[in-house]
Amino acid sequence: MAKIGVDAGLLSDAVIGSSRDNRSTMWNFIVRNVAQRLILLVIVSFVAHSFIHLAPGEPSEVDPMNPRMKPEDIAKIRAAFHLDEPLYVQYAYWIRDLATGELKSFKDSQPVLPKIWDRFLNSLPLFILATILVWTWAFPTGIYGAVFRGGMYDRGTVLLSYALISVPGFFLSYLAILWVVGWFGVPVISIKTFGMEHAELPYKIMDRVWHLVIPSIMAAIGGIAILSRYVRSQMLEVLGQDYVRTARAKGLTEDAVIYGHALGNALLPFVTMFGLLLPGLIGGSVIFEQIFAWPGLGRLGYEAILSRDFPIIMTLNFIAAVLTLLGTLISDILYAVVDPRIRLH
Amino acid sequence: MFVKRLLLFIPLTLVIFLVQSYFWVPTYENQAAGNPDRLVTYIEASIGDAKILNPILNADSASSNIVSHVFEGLLDLDEDLKLRGRLAIDWQITERAYLLVNPHHRFPDGTEVTGAKLFQKIHQAWKAGTIEGLQDRVQSIELLPSGKRSESISLLLPNAEGKPQLKDISVTIDVPERVALTLSEVDQDVFDRLQPILGERYFEHFPYDKLIHPQAAVPQELEEPLRAKFPDILPVGEHNPTILFHLRQGVNFHDGHVFDAGDVKFTYESIMNPKNLSPRTPDFEPIKTVEILDPSTIKIIYKRLYSPAINAWTMGILPEHLLNEEALTREKQDRGLSEEAQKTFGMRESRFNRHPIGSGRFQFVEWQGDEFIHLRRNENYWEGPAQYQDYFMRIIPELFTQEVEFRTGAIDFYGAQPHQVDRYKNDPTYQWFSSLGFAYNYIGYNNRKPLFADPMIRTALGMAINVDEIITYLVYGEGKRTTGPYPQNTEWYDQSIQPLPYDPQGARAIFEKAGWTLNRDGWFEKGGKIFEFTLITNNGNPIRKNLMTIAQNAWKKIGVKVNTQVFEWAVFLNDFVNTGDFDAVVLGWSMNIDPDLYQIWHSSQAGPQQLNFVGYKNSRADELIVRIRQEYNRDRQEELTHELHRLIHEDQPYTFLYAPLSTRVLDKKIVLVQKGSDGTEQFKKIYPTKSGDITFYFHKWRKLELTPDF
Repeated sequence: MAKIGVDAGLLSDAVIGSSRDNRSTMWNFIVRNVAQRLILLVIVSFVAHSFIHLAPGEPSEVDPMNPRMKPEDIAKIRAAFHLDEPLYVQYAYWIRDLATGELKSFKDSQPVLPKIWDRFLNSLPLFILATILVWTWAFPTGIYGAVFRGGMYDRGTVLLSYALISVPGFFLSYLAILWVVGWFGVPVISIKTFGMEHAELPYKIMDRVWHLVIPSIMAAIGGIAILSRYVRSQMLEVLGQDYVRTARAKGLTEDAVIYGHALGNALLPFVTMFGLLLPGLIGGSVIFEQIFAWPGLGRLGYEAILSRDFPIIMTLNFIAAVLTLLGTLISDILYAVVDPRIRLH
Repeated sequence: MFVKRLLLFIPLTLVIFLVQSYFWVPTYENQAAGNPDRLVTYIEASIGDAKILNPILNADSASSNIVSHVFEGLLDLDEDLKLRGRLAIDWQITERAYLLVNPHHRFPDGTEVTGAKLFQKIHQAWKAGTIEGLQDRVQSIELLPSGKRSESISLLLPNAEGKPQLKDISVTIDVPERVALTLSEVDQDVFDRLQPILGERYFEHFPYDKLIHPQAAVPQELEEPLRAKFPDILPVGEHNPTILFHLRQGVNFHDGHVFDAGDVKFTYESIMNPKNLSPRTPDFEPIKTVEILDPSTIKIIYKRLYSPAINAWTMGILPEHLLNEEALTREKQDRGLSEEAQKTFGMRESRFNRHPIGSGRFQFVEWQGDEFIHLRRNENYWEGPAQYQDYFMRIIPELFTQEVEFRTGAIDFYGAQPHQVDRYKNDPTYQWFSSLGFAYNYIGYNNRKPLFADPMIRTALGMAINVDEIITYLVYGEGKRTTGPYPQNTEWYDQSIQPLPYDPQGARAIFEKAGWTLNRDGWFEKGGKIFEFTLITNNGNPIRKNLMTIAQNAWKKIGVKVNTQVFEWAVFLNDFVNTGDFDAVVLGWSMNIDPDLYQIWHSSQAGPQQLNFVGYKNSRADELIVRIRQEYNRDRQEELTHELHRLIHEDQPYTFLYAPLSTRVLDKKIVLVQKGSDGTEQFKKIYPTKSGDITFYFHKWRKLELTPDF
């Protein structure tokens, strides 16, 4: 919610400026926002860097379980990882290595960026499918709820969405795994069925799709429940507007009123939410990736945190910050583009 | 209305598309039935992925599991936990001892000590047999001339900010004349035996300052720490245990390259190469030199007496031809790395760590990060190929999902918890095992605190706790009482020592004898202060948390007031355990097979960041601990460890609770295949060996098509 408040502030700038030339105002708006965000990014990454290093615990490489390790040996490892330098120097090393692409994980000395890229490709289909599911299901559910307000359908979906919001996703996932495995006897975990190397291509593709189904549904359920509530209330608000009454008074069919006049206006605020989806790419599915043994970004980050693999944590955090800032920027621009009140005034 | 239809049509099509994919996926049944390969494939689940598949660099259990299949060491432990040869056929341990001429000393008869005289006296005694134990051990004696050598000494000192920093100082050493003795077995008392010749205090007041010269001026604050290192770099009496390994011939690495002594030496040098940051350095640091006598003979000379050092040779041997300087240079050029990356490029960065080549029973095939690691059996293994053809380690981070996969037959093994194993105990299609490992749980008292200074009080606290009940109710019977610091399945543990009885009345009596009286509130009180302390443990281990509560309640019953607190692991270690700022802790140790307890129990190891964090101090125990690590004879070692065990049991610095049993479950169709000399096969039930390990005969495992009835 706090994020939306910040965006509103930025928007009012746009409103004031837009009275002059629209196109140049738009450019000014974007340039100013990008600049602000770049400064913010540096601050965020520095603060995150300090937090991560100040948290108790050391990389497992520095604290190996070998009781014969002498302080001299440990000092050597710390020095190799630059851990004995002051925090700002470590930050500079990190920035330098990230910029040159030489950043290496503590854990296995592999370059960080290719590692993140591989995991990103694994996470991407899960993220996309879950998002599509959320958006395609939340709208019809919410709209019908609003149209048939107070009916059995509406009450049923309200109850169901509150139930789904309250039940933790990991618990539902466990139940789903037990149920699917128990009744249908097919594998659901991981990215593909183990030992399918020799199957034909269509089978391989469909197998991948099947493995996406349960985790993405599980990841989407909470989103559907929440978003459909928003859609319902937004729709209700619009349906109470004067212009809807006018449309009805003109004698239009109910469908034409709802889908022709009301829906477009009700959906407007949701356009901006597209931008805010982006950061979900990184942290959105830690729990589901963990439960479904999905080799994705969330798990990479989680395991890096457990073993205090600072380069990985820092870089993921940095990417998340970039995505968040980029997401809010896109939201702001979309809002400016979509909302006629902002463009025309 | 088009929009209305679209809103219905899109989600429904999507769902139909997703659901139909179900029909393309093979069911679990289809995966196993009609798939003969499944019977010769072993799939194990692991919670975490491996980090680095290199025996000298890995430090996590998933990596070491894979590494133990792919690589092979010179030695390993047999069924009875004794060393046996693998890449080495056999080995001999002898000793070379050096005695420096101490010119500041005089012989008991008052004459000055010179090299010639020292040699002559010892030689005479040896030939005449006047000194007990000398004649049968010493093979030859010689006098070595004086010489010069230079060395670099590393000092760890706090810098201006109080953080430890390494400083290297180069010194030149004038080594005086010395007498060298060659012994047929290691004898830690050889210099003591010479005392009638040398007289008292021969080893004291050695003129180091005249013999060791720093090459550059040493800052004043470094003089003292530097001087403290002198006896280590130039010991007056030096023991050099020596191991001569005869290597197996005709062994190849998985790429066909022949294994020889050069690979052994290379492995040692890689560990000691500071650039590689090997976590194994402390295990190999006692080595002075490694000499290749011929391609199948190698001699390891140690700097000092340290009998557990030989265990380090169970570590896998690296192929020199793939990782030496030449190979690494080629690799970094092939990979087209930037200049900066080329500079820091070393073994840690090599592709080898993600595609290892060893000489073990299995060879590496593929690694999909966070998915699986695939190995295939080595058909050319010197002992013959394993029964299983393929080995997979699947990474499944949740125990629950692991169990689901296990039940459906998609994996053969996972680290089942006691409550999970319980579900299979009555199922005839599964076999389960419960065996002792090397770990134990305990309550450790801060021996430095006056409250716990008296061993009798610590004993009384132990007597108040009903350990048998804990085993029955807390760990479902999967535990065994333990009385001391050694694992029960090693010879070092003295089985005759009885655990403390559960006797709250007796415990009370001890408190009363020590002057504590019960006050009106029911707490023990002395001099106006009640017996009160805080028991802490780390977060994330429910068993320890329960142990803490049980102990608190048991002590409350006898009149001891205990507060409990749980801390996050890093905080627990940094703020309490490492600084010694605690009263009592609930913790566990996972031990090793070697009998060396120096780190955990020697009084010199009680400083901050050290493992004797309870501050146990007993001079006899110190003496025993040092003797044990310097003793190379197993029988004598056993006598010493039993004495040490008894001593620690009497002192009760910990209340030793129990050793948890490790529980495992397997499909019953997996059996041990025993081949007769005529080629016939016999199937036997799998059993845990002495170490509690069921996989000792893993290479003989096979999965049958039908469940056998044993």
